[in-house]
Amino acid sequence: MSYAVLENIRVSYDGKTPVLTDLNLSIERGELVSLLGASGCGKTTTLRVVGGFIEPRAGRFTLNGVDMTRTAVHKRNFGLVFQSYALFPHLTVFENVAFGLKLRKIESASLKSRVMAMLDITDLGALANRYPRQLSGGQRQRVALARALVVEPQLLLLDEPLSNLDAKLRLSMRVEIKRLQKKLGITTIFVTHDQEECFSISDRVAIMDKGVIQQFDTPEAIYSHPANEFVARFVGFTNFFNLTASGTGRCLNNLGEEMVIDEIRNHTGGQTSWTGAIRPDDIVLTGTEVSGTNRLTGSVEVRTFLGKSYQYELETKLGRVVVNAPKDSIFEPGTLVCAHLPSDKIVLC
Amino acid sequence: MKRSVFLLLIAPGILLLTIFLFYPLVVTLAPTFSNNGPSLARYLAFFSDSYYLAVFFRTVWIAVVATLVCMILGVPTAYFISRRRRSKSFLMALSIFPLLTNPVVRAFAWINILGRNGVLNSLLLSWGWITTPLTLLYTDFSILIGTIYLFLPLMIVTLVGSMDTIEEEVTEAAESLGASRLVTFFKVVLPLSLPGIVVGSVLVFTGAITAYSTPNLLGGNKNMLLATLIYQRAMSLADWTSAGVIAFVMIVMTVVTVMVMQKVSRRLDRR
Repeated sequence: MSYAVLENIRVSYDGKTPVLTDLNLSIERGELVSLLGASGCGKTTTLRVVGGFIEPRAGRFTLNGVDMTRTAVHKRNFGLVFQSYALFPHLTVFENVAFGLKLRKIESASLKSRVMAMLDITDLGALANRYPRQLSGGQRQRVALARALVVEPQLLLLDEPLSNLDAKLRLSMRVEIKRLQKKLGITTIFVTHDQEECFSISDRVAIMDKGVIQQFDTPEAIYSHPANEFVARFVGFTNFFNLTASGTGRCLNNLGEEMVIDEIRNHTGGQTSWTGAIRPDDIVLTGTEVSGTNRLTGSVEVRTFLGKSYQYELETKLGRVVVNAPKDSIFEPGTLVCAHLPSDKIVLC
Repeated sequence: MKRSVFLLLIAPGILLLTIFLFYPLVVTLAPTFSNNGPSLARYLAFFSDSYYLAVFFRTVWIAVVATLVCMILGVPTAYFISRRRRSKSFLMALSIFPLLTNPVVRAFAWINILGRNGVLNSLLLSWGWITTPLTLLYTDFSILIGTIYLFLPLMIVTLVGSMDTIEEEVTEAAESLGASRLVTFFKVVLPLSLPGIVVGSVLVFTGAITAYSTPNLLGGNKNMLLATLIYQRAMSLADWTSAGVIAFVMIVMTVVTVMVMQKVSRRLDRR
């Protein structure tokens, strides 16, 4: 049995509109799991159910086999880090970190050494006597993390902890979080809307939409094999087209042309139609028309400069296609180009 | 901004204050400092007169107790209101509502409740809890009740404003660290609302010291406060100089209170 388990969790604030519908999630001990999705997808609600701030209308939350669905927040022993840091403004860094230990009646010598050890780990030792208002965003974030970790929580809950930091700091903080999490072996749930951040830090990712987990897998698996169109769009697929089966291992597009797709070998379950998807980076553009399979002719509608490459929007017989092409050959708007969709880059969902 | 424009803009205010505040103040207070030449004799007389002193200390006592009671009643109420989402504006309106009624009318309401044949005595008599009616009206007690009722809304409104600035996530963080709701209240909410409590207390305290109609109607002649005493000296006895002395004592008390409380507030608010 997994360490933290959400079973058939149902949440609705007004009793009518569902926020979470029969949500199931199992997290292994020591794992860092992310909940990823756009705002309003239910990821924060899920975290708040785990934290005990929302009581679900139905379902169970167990930790290490113990039912905690209705355990009071202050009896759960979970560490929480918020987007706004939520430090106690009237306490110093030391007092902030010591808050949880004081409530646990730790005697003062060992409390002091534990707090100082945690401040050292998070590189805050020199700031122990400062007040939160005297700290930078990154320092506040580390205090929030130290405060949550020092009580040795059974579960660490991070709610968009990096969203208020600037880009450079966000990068180093996420490495920091990952390092601490692995070092202390704390099972962690991380809520974010940033796909890159999420994939870089997580052992497994649950992509959520409309209160439902769309896919729960390792970042690598999600990246290369999105379970459905929603997930595919989320991980950077922008070109979609309908496919129908024609005999074993073969399929046709809307125009009745055959498309060669490697992945179709894995879809032997009698399915007769799919949505094919491909990333803009994976399409190869050529100026001259080349005949053959998986080739589309289209005219350049819009060209935008992306820095490393140009992005083209093509008008083809299959609809609008977005392609990122290297800078060495530039196509002017209005010209006809040929797009090659490599058979190994097309995914079916 | 140009200096001339600046002066032009504040001129109306200065003019108004001079005509209606500074000038009358000087005219009223100047005689209190003279007794055939500059002298503090009138103030020394005030503080050596046992009757005046009794009134002075009664005023301070009522103001202090009223402030404390407003604090004790106001803090939990304000916290409750500040943590509501949907019912917040309704509850706020409800707590401000008494402020919309004339203080005289409200004092009369208390006369009806606390009087010898008032609502409270009738109830206690009919329940058999007492055999003779209690003397509630025209005592320190009735002044206190009236004053608390008068100023509690100010305390609540001030505190809700101050408690609104405490992020919900901060109290949630405290709970997640093992603090029950009650512990969170005492360890996080209360320290963070101290500035609001100080401001509310200043409002209640200075208000209680200067209130006139409530102690006048609920205190009667035996239980004078400084404000009612001023009226009596000036209007009944036409002794404007004594009234001026009392007025200046009240001004000094209020200013000193505000200054002390501000200092306390700055010391307590370490954010």
